[in-house]
Amino acid sequence: MRLPSVFRRTPFRLTLLFLALFAAAASALLLYIYFASRAEAATRAEADIRRELSALTAIYRERGVDALNAELIDRTSKGGPYLFLLMDAQGRPQTGNINESPIVEHAESERWEKFRLSGADARGRVARRAAMGVQLRLQGGELLFVGEDIGESEAYLNRLSLFLWGAAGIVFLLGLGGGLFVSRQVEGALGRLNAVVDSVQAGDLKQRVPVRNTGDELDELGGNMNAMLDRIEQSMASIRHAGDAIAHDLRSPLTRMRARLEVALIDADAGRVDGREALARALDEADDLLKTFNTVLSIARLQAASDIPDPAVFDAADLAADMAELYEPAAEDKLLDFAAQIERGLEVRGNRAFLAQALANLIDNAIKYTPAGGAVMLRARRRSSGEVEYSVTDTGPGVPDADRERIVERFVRLDNSRSEAGHGLGLSLVQAVAEIHGGRLDLAEGPGAVDGSGPGLRVGLVLPPA
Amino acid sequence: MRILIVEDDQEASVVMARGLTESGHDCVTAPDGAYGLEEAHKGGFDVYVVDRMMPRLDGVGMVETLRREGDQTPVLFLSALGEVEDRVTGLKAGGDDYLVKPYAFPELIARVEALARRRETGSVQTVLKVGDLEMNLISREVTRAGRDIDLQPREFQLLEFLMRHAGQSVTRTMLLEKVWEYHFDPQTNVIDVHISRLRSKIDKGFDRAVLQTVRGAGYRLEA
Repeated sequence: MRLPSVFRRTPFRLTLLFLALFAAAASALLLYIYFASRAEAATRAEADIRRELSALTAIYRERGVDALNAELIDRTSKGGPYLFLLMDAQGRPQTGNINESPIVEHAESERWEKFRLSGADARGRVARRAAMGVQLRLQGGELLFVGEDIGESEAYLNRLSLFLWGAAGIVFLLGLGGGLFVSRQVEGALGRLNAVVDSVQAGDLKQRVPVRNTGDELDELGGNMNAMLDRIEQSMASIRHAGDAIAHDLRSPLTRMRARLEVALIDADAGRVDGREALARALDEADDLLKTFNTVLSIARLQAASDIPDPAVFDAADLAADMAELYEPAAEDKLLDFAAQIERGLEVRGNRAFLAQALANLIDNAIKYTPAGGAVMLRARRRSSGEVEYSVTDTGPGVPDADRERIVERFVRLDNSRSEAGHGLGLSLVQAVAEIHGGRLDLAEGPGAVDGSGPGLRVGLVLPPA
Repeated sequence: MRILIVEDDQEASVVMARGLTESGHDCVTAPDGAYGLEEAHKGGFDVYVVDRMMPRLDGVGMVETLRREGDQTPVLFLSALGEVEDRVTGLKAGGDDYLVKPYAFPELIARVEALARRRETGSVQTVLKVGDLEMNLISREVTRAGRDIDLQPREFQLLEFLMRHAGQSVTRTMLLEKVWEYHFDPQTNVIDVHISRLRSKIDKGFDRAVLQTVRGAGYRLEA
C-alpha cells in the first residue's frame, strides 16, 4: 500500500520522528512522576501509622491495656483515616473501628501489609479502597493493628496519571497537526523550487521562484536559485549571441573563399592558371578566419571564467613600457607622433598576457584609425582612487557619443572603419579582460580637433590596485 | 632531423609527417602516448612533436615520463587548449614550446627546426657569425664586413635570435614570444616594422640582403 503523498515527505517524516521521541520522553517523565508520587504517598502513610502506633504503645506501656482501650474508643469515635483494632492473644477482636484484622498471620514482630478495604463510598456504592497497616504483639500478649486508609491519595494518583496521559494525547495530536502544517508549508516552498527546476530542465530558462523576502532559508535558496538562473540565462544568451555573430561573421569570408576556390578549380581545369595564387589567398583567408575564431573563443572563455586565469602580481608600468617600445616604430611608420607617459611602480594583480593583448589592441586601434600627422599617446598612471589606469588617446575621428557603448560589442564596426582590416573584436576583448580583472573600460572624447583632424578618442583601461 | 610525431588524429598526423618530410626531415608517427613512449625509447630523435590530449597516455604524461627517465630531447606540444594556464601546464611538464591548434604549417616547421637547433648550439658562444655579419655577445658589438652597426637593445636581441636561428624560417609569433616575451596576437604588423628597421641597419648599403622575408612564414637570416 502506498501512503498518501504527505506521509512520504521528508518534513512529515521528520515530524513523526520528533513526535515519537517526544512521546517516549513524555511517557518516561509521566511514569517517573507516577511512581515517585506513589512512593511518596506510601512513605507518608507509613510515617503517620508509626506516629499513631508509638503513641498507642506508649499509653499501653505506661498505663496498661485498659487505658489503651479507652484511648482507642476515644480515637475511633473522633473519626479520621486511621484504622485501629485491639485483639486478645488469640486474635479475637476487642476494640477498634474494623471487625477483623487484615493481617491474618499473628507474628511476634512488627508486620506491615498493604490491602484493600471494602466499604461504601459517598454515593453508597461498594468501593474497595487501598489501605496499609501494621500489626504487632504487645507485651501482655494482645495484638494491636494500626492502619491508614490511603484510598484518597491513591485516587489522587490515578486521577493525576489520567490527566497526564490526557495531556500527552493532546500534545501528540497538536504535534501531529503542527507537523502536517509545517510539512505542508515546507513542501509548498520546496514544491515551488522543484517546479522551477523541472521547467528549467525541460528547457524553459525563464521560470523564476517567487521570492517573498521573508529572509528564511527557503526564501534565500529561492533567491539564490533565481540569481543562478539569471547568470546562466545571461551566459546562454551571450553564447548564443556569440554563436550567431561567429556564424554571421564567418559565413561571408567562407563563402568568398569557396567561390574563389571554385573559380580557381575551373581555371585550372581549363589550363589557364595553375591555381597556386588562389590557394595562397584561400590559405590567408583561412588564417584570418582562425584568428577571428580564436579571439571570439578567448572572449567567451574570459566571460565565463570566475577568476583571472594564471594571475600574478606585476608592475603595470613595465608592461606599458614594453608595449610602447613594441608599437612606437609602427606608429612612426604611419607618420604619427607617438608618446608614452608612464609612472613608475604600478603594481597590479592580473594576467600579463591578457593585459598585454588588451593594451596592444587599444594602441593598435589608435594607430589604425588616426590619420597620418596625428598623435597617439599612451599613459599609465595611478589614479587618486588607487586604481591603475592605462589610457590611449588619439587625434583620430573619434567615436560619436551614441556609438561609444556599441563599439564594445562583438563584431560591431562603425561604418567609417570598414575600410580598415579588423574583425570588430578588439574592444570586446579589452572589455572582457577589464571585467575579469575587476576593472572597467572608459571611453571618452579625445583632446579635441587638431589641424582638421577629428575630436579623437580616449580609451581608459582601469584596473584595481594589487 | 628525425622527428617523432605523437598525435591521435590520424589525418593531422599524416599531413604533419608529409609536410615535415617535404622540408627534409625523417618522421616517425605514433597514435598515442603509450606507443609514443615505445618509439621514443628506441632513441635517435631530434625533436618530439606531441599532442596534449590523446587516449591511453596523454602528452603531458608521456613527456613527464620521458623527462623522469632523463630524456632531454626537445618537445613541442600541440594543443587545442590555448589558454595561458594550459600553456603553463605544458611547459611545466617538460615541454620546450607550445603550439595551439589550428596552426599554420610554416609556424610548426619553424618551431620544430628552432627546437632542434637550440639543442645543437647548446655550448656557450661568445661570437655569432652569419656570413659577413658578426655579433659579439660580450662587448655587444655588431659588425658587417667589418663595418660597425649601431643597434638599439631590442634590435640587438632581435638580431641575436635571428642569428642563432640562421638559415631557418622564424615566424612573427615566434619573434614576439622569444624576443619580446609576450604571448599574444598583435593585429598589425608591429614585428614587420621592427624587422624593417633592423633590415635598414644591417642590409642597407650592402649588395646582398641577409635578412629575407619568407612568404607565408616570416623571416630568415641567410649567410
